[in-house]
Amino acid sequence: MSAATHAPEATGTRTDAETAGAVPALACAGLSKRYGDVVAVDDVGFSVAPGQAYGLLGPNGAGKTTTISMLVGLVRPDTGTVRVGGTDLAADPITAKARIGYVPQEIALYPELTGRENLRFFGRLYGLPRRELTGRIAEVLGLVGLADRADAKLGTYSGGMKRRINIGAALLHRPEVLILDEPTVGVDPHSRKAILDGVERLVADGMALLYTSHYMEEIERVCDRAAIIDHGRIIADGTHQELISLVGAADTVELVLDGEVDAAFARLRAVEGVIEAVRTGPSSVRLIAEGGRYLLPALITAVEGGATVTATQVVEPDLEATFLHLTGSSLRD
Amino acid sequence: MGDTVGARVGAGVRAAVGAGPPAGEHAALGDEPPAGRRAGWRGRRRGGWTAAWRALLTVSALELRARLRDGTAVVIAVAVPITLATLFGFALGGDDPPLRATIGMVDLDGGQFPAGVRHELLSAKELRGVVTLRDLPGQDQARRELDSGAIGSAIVFPAGFSTSVGAGEGGRIGVLTSPESPLAGVVARAIVDRISALVDARTLAVRAALLAGVSGDDVKDLVERNGAAGPALELGDDPLTGGKIDLSVYYGAGMAALFAFFVVGASMRGLLTERRHGTLDRIRAAPVPAWVPVAGKAAVGFALALTGACLNWAASTLIFGTTWGSPPAVFAVLAAHVLAATAITMLVTSRVRTDAQADGTLMMVSFVMAFLGGSLVPLFSLPGPLREVARLTPNAWTSTALTELAGADRAGWMGWADGMAAVAGPIGALCLIAGVTGGLAVWGLRKGLLR
Repeated sequence: MSAATHAPEATGTRTDAETAGAVPALACAGLSKRYGDVVAVDDVGFSVAPGQAYGLLGPNGAGKTTTISMLVGLVRPDTGTVRVGGTDLAADPITAKARIGYVPQEIALYPELTGRENLRFFGRLYGLPRRELTGRIAEVLGLVGLADRADAKLGTYSGGMKRRINIGAALLHRPEVLILDEPTVGVDPHSRKAILDGVERLVADGMALLYTSHYMEEIERVCDRAAIIDHGRIIADGTHQELISLVGAADTVELVLDGEVDAAFARLRAVEGVIEAVRTGPSSVRLIAEGGRYLLPALITAVEGGATVTATQVVEPDLEATFLHLTGSSLRD
Repeated sequence: MGDTVGARVGAGVRAAVGAGPPAGEHAALGDEPPAGRRAGWRGRRRGGWTAAWRALLTVSALELRARLRDGTAVVIAVAVPITLATLFGFALGGDDPPLRATIGMVDLDGGQFPAGVRHELLSAKELRGVVTLRDLPGQDQARRELDSGAIGSAIVFPAGFSTSVGAGEGGRIGVLTSPESPLAGVVARAIVDRISALVDARTLAVRAALLAGVSGDDVKDLVERNGAAGPALELGDDPLTGGKIDLSVYYGAGMAALFAFFVVGASMRGLLTERRHGTLDRIRAAPVPAWVPVAGKAAVGFALALTGACLNWAASTLIFGTTWGSPPAVFAVLAAHVLAATAITMLVTSRVRTDAQADGTLMMVSFVMAFLGGSLVPLFSLPGPLREVARLTPNAWTSTALTELAGADRAGWMGWADGMAAVAGPIGALCLIAGVTGGLAVWGLRKGLLR
């Protein structure tokens, strides 16, 4: 994809923020970053309107974290601009950063301090006055459901509680943009639900959200729009429906095989109607195929002689299928 | 295949739903009018500095609290300095003057200079009971006596020395020292330094007189009448500057200089720990200048190290009654040393990747600086080339300055102005070391830790 494909001269609808004439809460254009010969991010650009949740999908090493690092001012881009609420991050980083709430992937807090002490530290760092800070900390503790554990050392928290306080530390200064980098990694279902519920409320209240996750269902639930990033480039960008429509009427067909799986896999790829095929395990195969249900007999016939289909599942098109279609790999590979 | 399809389809979707605004379009979206920006600039800059200082205090307060909580601040900034001062005081200090030196004198010259030195050494009140002179017939004999421990050092006047100096050609004096008797070495070197200065003055005067056309026979009278007073040595002030101090002060100051590296290093190492935990990036993502996390750590390390050095000084002075010299000058030297140690540990931190690397490198740098800089062994006992290298270490300048102050103070009270003047050179050198290494550290941190 050349830079020209990102240019606004291309005909088509505009983002919500631009259509409304409002300043995007977060906008980047032409972001690139190279480490030696490795291109980590190449010509990435998107914008997020106030009250909009934007997902960034990509496998490990796709460039998500580097992109986020440039958006929050941790890494200086080789080219491109970042604007937060209209303020150029490079020209006025203090003002721009004050509008961002950044939640890194790891629990970036002090385990020897209590939850309240951690929040107080980051609140002071964001310039909240002492009087206001005490009340705001109580609000945030309530928001993340940790008011009763506020004075316990962070080291005694469960994984889910740490994740929640990790997010809470980014909310103290009432940011205009919340950037969440894999916020639910390693948490229990209860905490995950609490995190997603809380994030949805924040977006409903008008906060802009940039969300990265390995969990497609989280992106589908939380985000209005998403970009798929691979090898440092955004290869698709749109609403759920727009992205899913990229795979057309294709279905996902999961097959479990017994016998000569390698040979069977090669035959399956060759079946007319199969768009994409990927091995998902030693004896399992995932296919993207037109009219999957009607194709099943042909698929079973194709492997006959060397292997046997022992189980099948046909899934209607979703974001996961789109991702697989566009990147040629599963998101969790 | 996936890439090709993805690129094509992705472009189509982007075109359909609208791409993010390009750089050129942002101006219309978010820029404020230039006039408004100018009007708000000064106020924002003032507010920015206030916010930066508040952030610095916040980071420093957290660092100090962490150091107090884990006990390292109390141990290395309070307990260790006081303990070391006490141990050195008991082991090396006390009321008895520690200086006892027997110096061998090899006079192959037989001229006025050796005679003058002998006369002054024996008649100086300050040296009575401290220095014993022993005449020896030759350099080999002096070497044997030195090896056997019978003498602590020896001064060798070569044949023709006085004649050579009198003719304006200068001369060389040999000094033999032994690591077994460091103080005797200090005495001998101090004497030779004084002779050297005298010889230089005398040589210059003679050459000037000769160039002016004074006849060779009249030169000596002319020179002596006009101030370059022959071979006589004036040892009245303090011929032993650099050696005539309590050993507990010397080594106590050395330990203070060494531990300054450890104390500051502990704080700077915390920067790497914060990077590993992700809190450094989180601080950097906050609306604070990039230097805040580094400066916050460095400030606490500096304060704790200076506290430790001052406690060492106070313990040595209050418990054992030793003197380190003019207090303002001593404080200034310690502060400059800690500043240099802070910059050097910052430089190390900027170059390493892991905590283990930091520990190892800081340990090595601290001990090498201490060894070369006279914190562990006296400077004069180092071989000549190493003494030159020692000038690159803050420890050497600190040791030199504190020895100067302590030695001068024993000879008589030195006012703060005189004290500051006496150590201005070493303090300048320490500040230069701090500036150079600090500059390299900032450059390294911007390329690495704060990329």
